[in-house]
Amino acid sequence: MSERIVITGLGLVTPVGVGREEAWRALLAGCCGIREVESFDATGFTSRLGAEVRGFEPAGLLARIDPAGVGRASQFAAVAARLALTDAGLPTVADPERAGVAMGTTSGEPREIEDFDDRWLAADYEGVRGEFVNRYRCASIPEVVASEAGFRGLNIMIPTACAAGNYAIAYAFDALRAGRADVMLAGGADCFSRITYSGFSRLGAIAAERCQPFDRNRQGMVPGEGAGVLTLETWEHAAARGARVYAEIAGYGLSCDAHHMTAADGDGAARAMIQALRDSGHRPEEVSYVSAHGTGTPTNDRLECAAVGRVFGEGAATLPMSSIKSMIGHTMGAASAIEAAVCALAIHEGRVPPTINFSEPDPECPVDCVANECREMPVAVAMSNAYAFGGNNASLMLRAWEAA
Amino acid sequence: MRSDARRVVVTGAGIACAAGDRMGELWAAARDGRSPGVRRPELALDGMPGPLAAFHDRLDVRAELGREGLRALDRTGRLAAVAARRALADAGWPAAALAGTEVGLVLGTMFGSLRTICEFDRRGVSAGPSYAKPLDFVNSVINAAAGQTAIRFDLRGVNATVSGDLTSGLQALAYAADLVRGGRATALLAGGADELCAESLYGFHRLGLLCGAGSERAVPLGRPAEGMVLAEGAALLMLESLASARARGATILAEILGHGSAYDPGRGAGAHHLAAAVAGAVRSALQDADRPAGAIDCVSLAANGTHLDAAETAGVGRGLSRPGPVPALAAKAATGETLGAAGALQTLFAIESLRNRRLPGIPGLDPGAAPALAAGGGTSTLEGSTALVTAVGLQGKAAALVAEVAPQTTDHDRRA
Repeated sequence: MSERIVITGLGLVTPVGVGREEAWRALLAGCCGIREVESFDATGFTSRLGAEVRGFEPAGLLARIDPAGVGRASQFAAVAARLALTDAGLPTVADPERAGVAMGTTSGEPREIEDFDDRWLAADYEGVRGEFVNRYRCASIPEVVASEAGFRGLNIMIPTACAAGNYAIAYAFDALRAGRADVMLAGGADCFSRITYSGFSRLGAIAAERCQPFDRNRQGMVPGEGAGVLTLETWEHAAARGARVYAEIAGYGLSCDAHHMTAADGDGAARAMIQALRDSGHRPEEVSYVSAHGTGTPTNDRLECAAVGRVFGEGAATLPMSSIKSMIGHTMGAASAIEAAVCALAIHEGRVPPTINFSEPDPECPVDCVANECREMPVAVAMSNAYAFGGNNASLMLRAWEAA
Repeated sequence: MRSDARRVVVTGAGIACAAGDRMGELWAAARDGRSPGVRRPELALDGMPGPLAAFHDRLDVRAELGREGLRALDRTGRLAAVAARRALADAGWPAAALAGTEVGLVLGTMFGSLRTICEFDRRGVSAGPSYAKPLDFVNSVINAAAGQTAIRFDLRGVNATVSGDLTSGLQALAYAADLVRGGRATALLAGGADELCAESLYGFHRLGLLCGAGSERAVPLGRPAEGMVLAEGAALLMLESLASARARGATILAEILGHGSAYDPGRGAGAHHLAAAVAGAVRSALQDADRPAGAIDCVSLAANGTHLDAAETAGVGRGLSRPGPVPALAAKAATGETLGAAGALQTLFAIESLRNRRLPGIPGLDPGAAPALAAGGGTSTLEGSTALVTAVGLQGKAAALVAEVAPQTTDHDRRA
């Protein structure tokens, strides 16, 4: 049994860059990955903004699997996993049966369904690939990751929508502490699809011009795609091989609103944060940075800020809390995994990324959103929030690594 | 020895599937050799034979859940909600007690709401994006059924969905058990649900996994493997800490002793490697349960009539690695392949068989087909208290769980 779980590798596939270094530099520089949608014909939609991963070429980035045989979300996940292993200096593991994978997603492989539906509508049943079931199942995402990594241990998909990345990391954290594995790849992946895009469009949630979380004039979120995968290890395993440590997972909290499928009530979000603080043993005033869920919809940001106010009290007004969704959109099940990686880098490098497109403060969002420019500051303890359809809330705690 | 707060017990169950709405009913169907599959020619697409399918047509959802709010739930959500209502009642959790406690839910599902997703998409494509239904989109996320069920029953604890292919249900039970063992929850509903639809039937048909025109029932462990009967259903167990169960005077049906899982990086392409993954899952479950292979009194298989059965039985044999045949159960002979619901159904099926001290038998099975296993018949006796439950996925996943029937309840009548 190991008490302390460390992050030793980061793999990122985002609309502003592929790979830890490229994506992190872009986020610090305030680069925006939001453009007009290219991957499908968005004629007829009131907003046409999307955050797509353009020019993605997985073939040269993978060691074992053939990307042609799997869906786009699985490709993102496999590439992020390979990058996370390379970043950790862990191309192979000594005991693959004690190496596992936990992943999250919102939609799994929706493009496989779209292909199926197009053929269904054309009554072209013969054209439906025999592997439709195998490719569409969201369970394929951790399977493809484990096949790329050669991992034979735990293999789980936790598809708790837009909080799924945090759920997967939390699962891996517990599995490592319980001695069920020595190494886990954990994160989330989602791909851009007309299904997800039409859904958010019909809910009236998509911003027409820009994503501007916490701004008084914010209009909504922007759908995105990508993957984030973290290499997590027990401290003993990492120390034995002399691994570089970005940060330590300090704890988490999960809760359910049990209130409404799409409208959060704020109470569940506060309960998840309080549980996460308690689990990590940190007091609210010890938290240096919050990575907000911060989608940019009027309701999310107002409720999240109110919940942060309840949990952090007077300190909430000066607590740095930014949303990288202003730059890469809402990457769904990947979002909180990418954000956890960002927290680990913020801790490791002492810099936090900005919320871009911010111009006018909203009295209902009285927070320091790290407006428009990244900030150099020591980050000892970070909290990363994620909220999802279904009222699923997950807050993850990370802290600077100090060997005891 | 784990403390009472970290021991995980089963205090109730709720099921809904074509083979039965109570475990006694389902077990009798298994013993009597009834098959749930009905030919549905209206669901045949493009030259496929009318598929054998086990829809739960008898389920009166309105009587069970009331009219209010029912429109918001699609089929998977309705099945999950019915199972949750039954499990809460069976475990003796009144609504008033739920309000003061954070009861959680871990739902296993292979597809979530495939039909809802497809209908949402096809409407948007054929009529234009402004005609796609927002309510369908809300239910298109894979965790929709878990969220809807939590709203309906005020389940404010951990709410998670697990999608592990044909191991979804066992993975959900394992995840929930670990939340109790780790002190993160005291009580959760855990199990799974999946709907049945033309889209999934066609997909499995194209994979060549459905019973063909020549067979009218699935024969788990049959050689050659003739295919499965696809079914819909839901099954949830109330898992809680032994301390919580004792404090509220709950009837304890069984204890979850441990679990294990493994993955074949070859994605199940070679039966030998898949069997090795099953063996690995079995060994890690025994280790986690702190029981020797000799302590297993029966194995409740996921066998569904497909090629996966051979890898599963070979893996169980290697994982247990002991002389003589092991008494075997195959719940899917009676239920069909219920996907996400299967893990909880298999676990309950084992509990029921151990309480009945009988093996229900596997209809249509040639006795020589699986020499390492003793499938028995309606009159074979079954002694002991401990079951191994196994599952194997289409693409390399394997899972196992060890449960022990509680001695104080073995002679009681079950309520569900």
